[in-house]
Amino acid sequence: MTTPFLVARDIAKAFGGTQALKGVSLDIAPGEIHGLVGANGAGKSTFIRILAGLNHPDAGRIELDGHSQEIGTPQRATELGMSFIHQELAFVPGMNVLQNIMLGVPKKTRFGLTDWRAIARDVAPIARRVGISAPLNAGVKGLSTAEIWLINICRALVRKARLIVMDEPTASLAASEAERLFAIVRDLSASGVAVLYISHRLDEILSLCTRVSVFRDGRSVAELAGDTLRRPALVEAIVGGAIRDAQRTAPERPRGGVVMEAKKLTRAPKVLGVSLQLHAGEVLGIGGLVGAGRTELARLLFGADRPHSGEMTLVGRPYAPASPAAAVQAGLGLVPEERRAEALFLSKSIAFNLGIANLDKVVIGRYLPLMNRGARTSMAGEIMRSLSIKARSASTPVGSLSGGNQQKVAIGRWLQRTPKVLILDEPTRGVDIGARAEIHRLIRQQAESGMAVLVISSEPDELPELCDRVLVMAEGRIVRELSGAGVSRKAIVEASYVEPEALMEDHLA
Amino acid sequence: MSDIAISARRLSPSTKAALGIFARYGTIIGLLAMIVTFSILSPGAFPTVGNFTNVLNQASLAMIIAGGLTLAVVVGELDLSIGFAASLHGILITGLVVHDKLPIPLAVIIVIALGAVIGLVNGFIVTKVKVNSVIATLGVGTILTGLAFAYSAGVPIVAGVPEAFLQLSLGRWLFGIPNNIIVMIVVLGGLWVLVERTPLGQEIQAVGGNAVAARLAGVNVDRIKILGFVISGMCAALTGILLASRLGSGTASAADSYLLTAFAAVFLGSATLRDGEFHVLGTLVGALIIAFGFNGLNIFGAPTFSQYVLQGAILIIAVGMASLGRSLAER
Repeated sequence: MTTPFLVARDIAKAFGGTQALKGVSLDIAPGEIHGLVGANGAGKSTFIRILAGLNHPDAGRIELDGHSQEIGTPQRATELGMSFIHQELAFVPGMNVLQNIMLGVPKKTRFGLTDWRAIARDVAPIARRVGISAPLNAGVKGLSTAEIWLINICRALVRKARLIVMDEPTASLAASEAERLFAIVRDLSASGVAVLYISHRLDEILSLCTRVSVFRDGRSVAELAGDTLRRPALVEAIVGGAIRDAQRTAPERPRGGVVMEAKKLTRAPKVLGVSLQLHAGEVLGIGGLVGAGRTELARLLFGADRPHSGEMTLVGRPYAPASPAAAVQAGLGLVPEERRAEALFLSKSIAFNLGIANLDKVVIGRYLPLMNRGARTSMAGEIMRSLSIKARSASTPVGSLSGGNQQKVAIGRWLQRTPKVLILDEPTRGVDIGARAEIHRLIRQQAESGMAVLVISSEPDELPELCDRVLVMAEGRIVRELSGAGVSRKAIVEASYVEPEALMEDHLA
Repeated sequence: MSDIAISARRLSPSTKAALGIFARYGTIIGLLAMIVTFSILSPGAFPTVGNFTNVLNQASLAMIIAGGLTLAVVVGELDLSIGFAASLHGILITGLVVHDKLPIPLAVIIVIALGAVIGLVNGFIVTKVKVNSVIATLGVGTILTGLAFAYSAGVPIVAGVPEAFLQLSLGRWLFGIPNNIIVMIVVLGGLWVLVERTPLGQEIQAVGGNAVAARLAGVNVDRIKILGFVISGMCAALTGILLASRLGSGTASAADSYLLTAFAAVFLGSATLRDGEFHVLGTLVGALIIAFGFNGLNIFGAPTFSQYVLQGAILIIAVGMASLGRSLAER
């Protein structure tokens, strides 16, 4: 066997207290199309960031062409022959195709000026090879995502990349465009350029890749090739079939009537014809992969975005919130995914953060619109006690609290309003185990008191522990409903990797 | 080795505390130091009741317009139209009183209402049409300058200004306190109560602190931003009226320079007491620094150019020191 282009051995990396990578190994031969799969949080992104020189590994060894290397910076990663194409494609809308291809690439000069004519002569054959049909001097404004992809690939080739890392390349491509991309990937491979292909779409992985590495919980758990490279084996490796399935601790509970209903809710491309019913007193989970459209669905329910089509009802009445303010008035509450960016006012006090959703309760009188600061402080104190938010006082800035206490503030803000529907997006992300258990208990308490609770989570164990019922989303659609004993980590993960045929059928139906 | 590098960079807790205090109280310390210095250097002319009243009286107009601007910046936007708007308001009220012979209270109400409308237009363009507030308010301000010239045909209105109109600004009231100062205290006091002590003020602070979070917490962000512009516009109108009364005339560009003074006061204020947040009390301190600085230099007969140089320098130094002190204290 030839010397591998890239060898990574036992790479480990921790962020704060979280061990993102516990030891992953992987090697890629020149010209190989190597697949990389794993559930959310398995460590794929961290590994890629290390290869790209954006993070530094705590332990482990990286060899390129048989020489041990410290990558260190993105520039060094480029020099070593690696190029990265991320989901958010790098391009500048105001520039033409050639300028975009040459973005960040050292350019030929003539008398100190960039010699675009000479550059165009050099680039033209490469552009032809990857199939860029637009003229090099055309603007990129009207180009499709697929063509922007080609520009990114072309840039990698101009840089003489020997390994191109592609992160979810087909996520925003149409089927025909994806086919074209596959052809290019195979062509790259034939010419000796290796590709590390990261995708949630297992069928693409199976048809393109000769070898596939599977990451789970920060470790490389399997390398499949040849005969062992089959869909069931892949799913098994991703889910960790044999490992303990989280204990179903959520008890069976009688649920109340339908509080909220959505019919064929659509906001392309992320939410496509989603219908669901949310009952009083139940915790309904939405599972699926990151990017499946779950947050976008929550935003539609909460009035943060408007659906293109479809309708909703709330306690039997038509419900079409024009804004989150209208949704709050109607009796909803949302605890957003990014609590620091989307939920909290970090420099402000706990009392401020709790009070902002309860201003009608802290006003002195109807005709005296002054804030009753005493009432606000005592309300804050009450919420802090009942949620056991640990802080010196209600005037402590929220930014100085731990993640778990911050999250409790984001949740606690709504509880005084006793909303009909409470939506929580990743409620325990980045909180410690103790706070996680408390937040779970709190969520269940709310449901037991009759609230309808919707929980979005990417953490495989969370939904089985917490929910009465789980809907799994994939590529903007609800692909499976699980309830009772059918709610398990394995069932959720399996359903998340939807087969394209299933999607097609759904679409036709 | 890396441990040594880190500990060398790390500051002792007491140094940190001192830096934190400096970041918050630096502007106030500077103001007091300036007053003390001028008092020592010029004991006969500077530290007198007469001079202090005079400084406050002069500064009141800038404080009112800066107080309004504070509301616009608190909600996270900039309002560059205020100086031009105040000029238009000045010429308009003179015209209404002199040419149209309107009763003064009615003329004042009309002009302040126009200020509110201008704020509404600014707010609408920024929130609904989604034009960056710098561009939107610069454009609106330029249009207002045009309107001011059109209204006055480029000629200042000087003749026939009634004494009662001059008394708006020149008059004195309670204990002989100049009207300007009384109006300023009422306006800034009202704005302080609005922002710090009302539920609406909580929404205003929330929008400025994190507009995304405010929206998802159920705050109507657009409405709050428009309100900020409306208040800014009304304060500009008030300053325009008082300036016209003080000058006894309406000129198409009389109040333009208030834009820079107001911004200086507001940003000096953001470096006061709170870490880089805009607030009404801070703006008041900022305006005082500028007013006393100018006054002191005037007493010493410093040439006009040096006063501008000093104003610019104080602004950059104060805001720069505060943000440096803050970032060092946070290490």
